[in-house]
Amino acid sequence: MPLSESERYPLMTDAGRSLLRDLHEHPSAPLFNHHVGDRMDQESLQRARDFQNEVFERPPQWRDRQPPEWLQPFVNYCERETPFYRRRAVNHGTFTDIPTTCRADFGQAPWMFVPDDQPVDDLILYNTSGTTGHPIDILSRPIVSTMVVPLLRAALRTRGVELNGGAGRVAVAQICFQKRTFTFAALSSILGEAGNLKLNLNPLDWRDPDDRIRYLDEWAPEILTGDPISFYELTKLPLRRQPKALISTSMTLLPGLQKTLEDRFGCPALDLYSMNETGPIAVRLPGEDQRYQLLQPRLYVEILDNDGNPCEAGERGEITVTGGFNPLLPLLRYRTGDYGTLAYYEDAKTPFLSNVEGRPATVFRGASGQHINNIDVTQVMRRYPIARFALHQSSDGSLQLRVSDNGTPDEELLIALRALFGVEQVITISLVDIYEGKLVQYTTDLG
Amino acid sequence: MDEQGPQLETLTRWLTECPGDFLAAPRIGSAGVIHVDAVVADLMRDLGGSTDKSMAAPFQAAPNPRGDVAKAQSNWMSVVLIACWVLHHPWFLAANRFSPLAYGLLANGLQETARVVAATKFISAPDRREELVRLCLAQLGLRPEGETVAQAEDRLTTLSSIGRQKVIQAARKAEQRAQAIREAMKKAAAEEAAAKYTRE
Repeated sequence: MPLSESERYPLMTDAGRSLLRDLHEHPSAPLFNHHVGDRMDQESLQRARDFQNEVFERPPQWRDRQPPEWLQPFVNYCERETPFYRRRAVNHGTFTDIPTTCRADFGQAPWMFVPDDQPVDDLILYNTSGTTGHPIDILSRPIVSTMVVPLLRAALRTRGVELNGGAGRVAVAQICFQKRTFTFAALSSILGEAGNLKLNLNPLDWRDPDDRIRYLDEWAPEILTGDPISFYELTKLPLRRQPKALISTSMTLLPGLQKTLEDRFGCPALDLYSMNETGPIAVRLPGEDQRYQLLQPRLYVEILDNDGNPCEAGERGEITVTGGFNPLLPLLRYRTGDYGTLAYYEDAKTPFLSNVEGRPATVFRGASGQHINNIDVTQVMRRYPIARFALHQSSDGSLQLRVSDNGTPDEELLIALRALFGVEQVITISLVDIYEGKLVQYTTDLG
Repeated sequence: MDEQGPQLETLTRWLTECPGDFLAAPRIGSAGVIHVDAVVADLMRDLGGSTDKSMAAPFQAAPNPRGDVAKAQSNWMSVVLIACWVLHHPWFLAANRFSPLAYGLLANGLQETARVVAATKFISAPDRREELVRLCLAQLGLRPEGETVAQAEDRLTTLSSIGRQKVIQAARKAEQRAQAIREAMKKAAAEEAAAKYTRE
């Protein structure tokens, strides 16, 4: 059910309405296929601004093995109000005795993580892309989407960039390069009713492929967000206007591409370590040692070994987080599935991550040589009730799909994948060993 | 429960032998036949205590209360009558000292239980028989012969109808909440979400 304009934008002004109309009616506008607003009313906006002040004024700090003061009250809250944690009786012994949680826990029953004291009348649902596992529903609120903006701003400040926003201009454009995805033009209340666009560089989304250039040059977004694959595609367009910064999420932005992007666009390209469950966690800083600065004032980060024991500072292990800013998904020792190390600056109270091994981007090659984003593969595979799968492309271009036994006929999977890769694509299908550990989902031998 | 009492089985068997008179409808207003206040007064005397008029007051129900109130009150009074039978066991009479504690149980200790269990169950159902016997013993500071304090407490907790009812209510409430969230998820899935700024 579409929302009304006043539901999408409770605070909309004439200037905002006019910008939104211009964004939609521009002669080079894409074929937007979705309408969506930030749904921020005055109270929500104030809360988001309060959060912004906290982000700017109270960067995350704690000493090694001395959790911050807010942590114990948060644990108490989780156990008191959240059915999943209450059932586990988490609050006995020390913090490190609390059982860890993982993606599968809320994949099964996400409602068990919603605290009893949280209303659900404005609940919204995001289905994760599932690039590291099976897609799951994330329960959220409109304000949570807006609260990402202060974290983006904090990330940009590490490179001296201010995201200003303001009426009549576009502040953020999210750049995608996918076969199919939602695209929209929206307004951002926290950015002074500036525009917030989501665009797909796939030429089929535009009346004329050159409209991609004309539209971006016309509206000159302050910053562009995207992933390494979409930014790589963007380098092929002869854009005249340069953004203040690029922010890459979703997959690790490898330093080689980062430099290419910075040279091409003449601005910083930031690698943001972020996930649906948590929002932005950290941003990679310039420098050889690849440090990531933590962003959230109330997200406690631990590094755990394979047995769930805390690692020493500087020792590599699984990144595990507690806290977060989504009130419908309080996280208690959530194992992210990503690996890295946590160490401290000379002040011994400012932690930073390094050697973060997120989700590497994988570009496959189709039967006629076309590039295929791994997200598009995920979108094909998510239609089937497959617990897990892995796709590998050999140097001869053939694909090997390994799936958990789920009853989906191989023929059906072959048809679906060939619709994406081309009818000539060579594909073999085999079963995943049930005892095999975590799968690396997408791999390729092609350069 | 510091003191050891009689064997549990002695009392549960005694309870199965509860005379039919104790199960007759308690007198409330002009309805019913058994005067509960009189039965309690007799028990107090048999347990070696004394009685005065004010002690009868809790067992003299107001006539013509609302229908649901009348039902609850009648059930509680029936439970009191059955507890009187338990406490009339020769072991308690021989001790000749339990009158004050027994009165406390009868006047104030059975209302919650009576709200969730029909009186007749305390005779017909084995677990409820054991629960009532253990409730009576606990109120008198006794534990069944051969049990430790921890064992007696643990068993009473396990059997507790009130505790069980609370668990059932909590589970029901949790399921209602989960259902409400699942409904909200369905609605949200059919609705548009909110504009995001990045993809994760």
